[in-house]
Amino acid sequence: MPLQMPFFVRRWFLHRSTKVTSEGLQFLIFTLAIGIAAINTGNNLFYLLLAMMLSLILISGIVAEYSLRRLVLHRHLPDLIVVNQPVTATLVVKNRKSSLPSFSLTIFDVSDGRDLARGVTVHELPSGASRLVSYPFLATRRGRLRLDGVRVATEFPFGLFMKKAFYHVEGSVVVCPEIIPLDERLLQGLMSTGQEQNLHRRGHGSDLYNLRLYHAGDDSRSIHWPTTARTSQLTVRETEAEEQRRATIRLLTIAPVSHDVVFEQAVSLSASLVQHLAHQGYVIQLIVGADCSTFGHGDAHLHELLRMLALCQRSDPSGEFIARKKFEPDRREDEGGTEIVVQSWCGPEDHQPMRLTLLVDGQPVDGALHGL
Amino acid sequence: MAFNQALRLTSILLAAVSFIGLTLGSGLPAWLAVLTGGGLIVVLLRQFTVESLRHLASHVSFSSAGWNLLVIVGFLGFWVDMFWVSGELLPAGIHFLMILMVIKLFNLKLRRDYLHLYAISLVAILASGSLTTDLWYLPIFLLYLVAGVWTLMLFQITKGSEDADALLIADQSRQPELLGRVTPQLFWLANGLALVCFGMTLAIFFTIPRISAGFYQKGFGKNIRTSGFSETVNLGAIGPIKRDPSIVMRVEVPRRTLHAMDRFYVRGVSFDQYDGKSWTNRLGYRRNLSEESPGMFIIRGHQSPAPSRLGDTIQQNILLEPLDTSVLFAAPFAEKISGKFPVVQSDFAGSVYLPFPSASRIEYSVVSRSHPVLPADLGSEPTHYPESFTRHFLQIPYISGRIGRLAEDITRAQTSPYEKAHAIQTFLIHNYRYSLDAPLAGVDRPLEEFLFLRKTGYCEHYATAMAIMLRTVGIPARLVTGFLATEWNEYGSYYVVRQQDAHAWIEVYLPHSGWVMMDPTPPSGEPVGDVYPAWRALERILDNVKLQWSRFFVQYSAVDQLAVVRELKAGGQSVGHKALDSMATLFSPILRLLGGIPDYVFSSTLRPQGSSWGLIVVACIILLALSVKRILARAFPDKKRTHEDHRIVDLYKQMIKRLADKGIAKTATTTPLEFVHIARIRWSEANLAVASITELYCRARFGGIHLTEEELGVAEDRLRCLTMLGKS
Repeated sequence: MPLQMPFFVRRWFLHRSTKVTSEGLQFLIFTLAIGIAAINTGNNLFYLLLAMMLSLILISGIVAEYSLRRLVLHRHLPDLIVVNQPVTATLVVKNRKSSLPSFSLTIFDVSDGRDLARGVTVHELPSGASRLVSYPFLATRRGRLRLDGVRVATEFPFGLFMKKAFYHVEGSVVVCPEIIPLDERLLQGLMSTGQEQNLHRRGHGSDLYNLRLYHAGDDSRSIHWPTTARTSQLTVRETEAEEQRRATIRLLTIAPVSHDVVFEQAVSLSASLVQHLAHQGYVIQLIVGADCSTFGHGDAHLHELLRMLALCQRSDPSGEFIARKKFEPDRREDEGGTEIVVQSWCGPEDHQPMRLTLLVDGQPVDGALHGL
Repeated sequence: MAFNQALRLTSILLAAVSFIGLTLGSGLPAWLAVLTGGGLIVVLLRQFTVESLRHLASHVSFSSAGWNLLVIVGFLGFWVDMFWVSGELLPAGIHFLMILMVIKLFNLKLRRDYLHLYAISLVAILASGSLTTDLWYLPIFLLYLVAGVWTLMLFQITKGSEDADALLIADQSRQPELLGRVTPQLFWLANGLALVCFGMTLAIFFTIPRISAGFYQKGFGKNIRTSGFSETVNLGAIGPIKRDPSIVMRVEVPRRTLHAMDRFYVRGVSFDQYDGKSWTNRLGYRRNLSEESPGMFIIRGHQSPAPSRLGDTIQQNILLEPLDTSVLFAAPFAEKISGKFPVVQSDFAGSVYLPFPSASRIEYSVVSRSHPVLPADLGSEPTHYPESFTRHFLQIPYISGRIGRLAEDITRAQTSPYEKAHAIQTFLIHNYRYSLDAPLAGVDRPLEEFLFLRKTGYCEHYATAMAIMLRTVGIPARLVTGFLATEWNEYGSYYVVRQQDAHAWIEVYLPHSGWVMMDPTPPSGEPVGDVYPAWRALERILDNVKLQWSRFFVQYSAVDQLAVVRELKAGGQSVGHKALDSMATLFSPILRLLGGIPDYVFSSTLRPQGSSWGLIVVACIILLALSVKRILARAFPDKKRTHEDHRIVDLYKQMIKRLADKGIAKTATTTPLEFVHIARIRWSEANLAVASITELYCRARFGGIHLTEEELGVAEDRLRCLTMLGKS
């Protein structure tokens, strides 16, 4: 049976670490030299100096420990961040000690056991006080980014040792795929190949939708005078709404490992399309693998779609797919609007990992890879 | 003061302290001391923003190449110094160190320069420690510790902005706010750390194992030159040192009150042969003393056929300064001597020696026994001495009829040896005058000159005259040199013995009592000193501090550590008793007062328990005082926390009121989160504000988490928005 250390010892080693600084190393060398001189000469005044230096080392450890104790940390991150787009993260540090201040606190984010330097230093934190510090936060991979906690380090009081303490401040944030500017040719392809679908309903627009009898409260400017004159009944003209357009974006998640890079590009392209179309006022539905969203618009819907893309996973093709020579995406029932399919793998015949396919209403569009 | 300015100042002070240490330790020649001191003053003046000086400095400043050249010149100078000027590594190294310090002081630009300066100052304080053991090292060390703590702390705090440090440190007038300033909190923290550091230094100093490999050991300073303790002493040799106030030893006499001794004789060497001008010790053959236990030596025999064992024992602890003689001094007549000596020697006259003079201060303990005059010696029985005895102690240099007649005249009426000796002593004390101005050295027959012509002299003349007169009438006598201590330090309970206390007296041999000490020298009559008593008291206090410094710091050794360990091992009991005694002494007035209360309140049967009651009450008061903070903290929780809690609770109540105004009332059974849900359904625009305030309220109220000012500000903003929404 392996030797088990007591819990508090394991916890201590997990939460505390000490490193000698370059100045500390020089100090230790001087201490050693004075110790040797004291032993050689038997001079008690050398022993006195040696004792002073040893006490400085001891006090370093004790004061650093007190400096790191009883801190409370809260991290605030945006709900959604995008790959390679810096955002501002904030951290509130509070010193809950009753009388002792904390000095020279350097703060690291801890993710996957690694310390991520943020360049954040709190020089002085009086007892009972709090500081709000902010730092740029940049994610380089999409998905759910988990932050285990915060590591606070200090070299106070003498800069001889760097002592670190770990605080559990768990946090997770969804990192959206990178949004890339879409190529002009791709947009033209979308416009020309894809049929812009107007949903036939009344609204503001120029095209005629319907003629009907005038009701009390109708705008008198909308009276269609030729028909009124012809029929001797007040008739108003209704126009067809132009701004409501529909699009369904399908991201196929089946791709082998060799197409991992292309899959990530496909995800990024999908996110860019979602973003672009949402800004264009489209009502968008996103289908990622087996997950399907509703049609919708607005910021909340956009964030929901981006979150789907952030969390989607590539799935290896099963035997059935491999058996097929060519991988044909399933067509869904026509719900109106444009269907855009983003495909990173075309089936077993596809041996070109760099090939990304974009189908608009079943028609391939060139330039999908451009800019990725 | 800004951090970078404070760092610069403390760094200069650190260097200044180490420089003062070296200067006081006589480690620097005058020109170098002036150069370094001047450099420090200039740098300090520049620090305190003397604009004209700064302007001047900007004009006369060297280039970095110039400074480098100076370093090279200094290094060459170091070799020249080592081989041709000082001739030793240590002084030459110290001189070079000071040159480097001056150069660094004028080049404090980068953090690296500061580190170099600290290293130089550390080596300098180390060097001053090797040059001295005097008390002044203690305040220098304390100052160095305080300056060191401040410097290291500020150096660490200014480390924060690595990119800007060179700029900040080089030009302290710019951007002082970037890093911050020394706050009162930091000031007290730094001084508190220095204090704690000093306490820990003492603890470590006393407990760190003393291992002395001794590859490079040396004494400190030169031995004090003294006279009167060699094999042959010319008459008048003690005179010149009688005006020297240097301290040669300190003698602790634990049971002094029992003896009530105003004059304490410290015996050195005795002499048996007088040739008319000088005394010689012909019994000076030394033999090693046997060791009874490690470090304890027994002195047997004083060339005395009838040693007396009836006198009182005198215990002494002697701290002897490094002298140019190997004699170990002690009160007459020494029986045991203990100390950290490998070997102790003794001659036939009972004088004790080390094999060679000690180069450093030594401490040893002696048990002596006084020889009183026994009643049997007051009678007039005829006395016979062995031939070997009379050859040494009845020897006279020549037959002087005048001295013989004088001695006969004085002792004619007396019958016993003691009475005769006493008569001669009385005669000399009453008929002669003490004076240090007695130039008898060049006289052909100094004793006759003293007795019959000048009639003034000092201790040697009196002692010689009495010894020769006694020998003339057939009584064995010998001259003894040593010290007569009269200066009692009441603060440290010891005698201070100075060079000027050097003294000579005689020892008379009585048939039954053995050797008995007699002193024929009259009081000097010279004023003790024209200084104020307060000043002398201060001097004695300082001397006591010096003694403690020497004992507990300079002389502290592995043996002392072992003694402490042994003491602790021997018992918690004795240590406990000592601690109890100390506590009792400290609290005795209170205990007496409190002890009286039960006596007053209860019957007299409780009287013996009064002190115990007092002790218990005092202990309770102390415990109460220690726990009062905790009790108060529990009774009245953190005011700040309560205040913050109240703020968010008030905000939450106001939010409830606003919602109630809009018809969304919170019932007593609705939880805060349920209420948020209700509010969202019934007034969706207010959802953000309600949810935000409720979350902060729950965190503070139920989560026990302190809210920051920023969070409270957010809550207030949300409430404001809610109010606006309600109005619109």
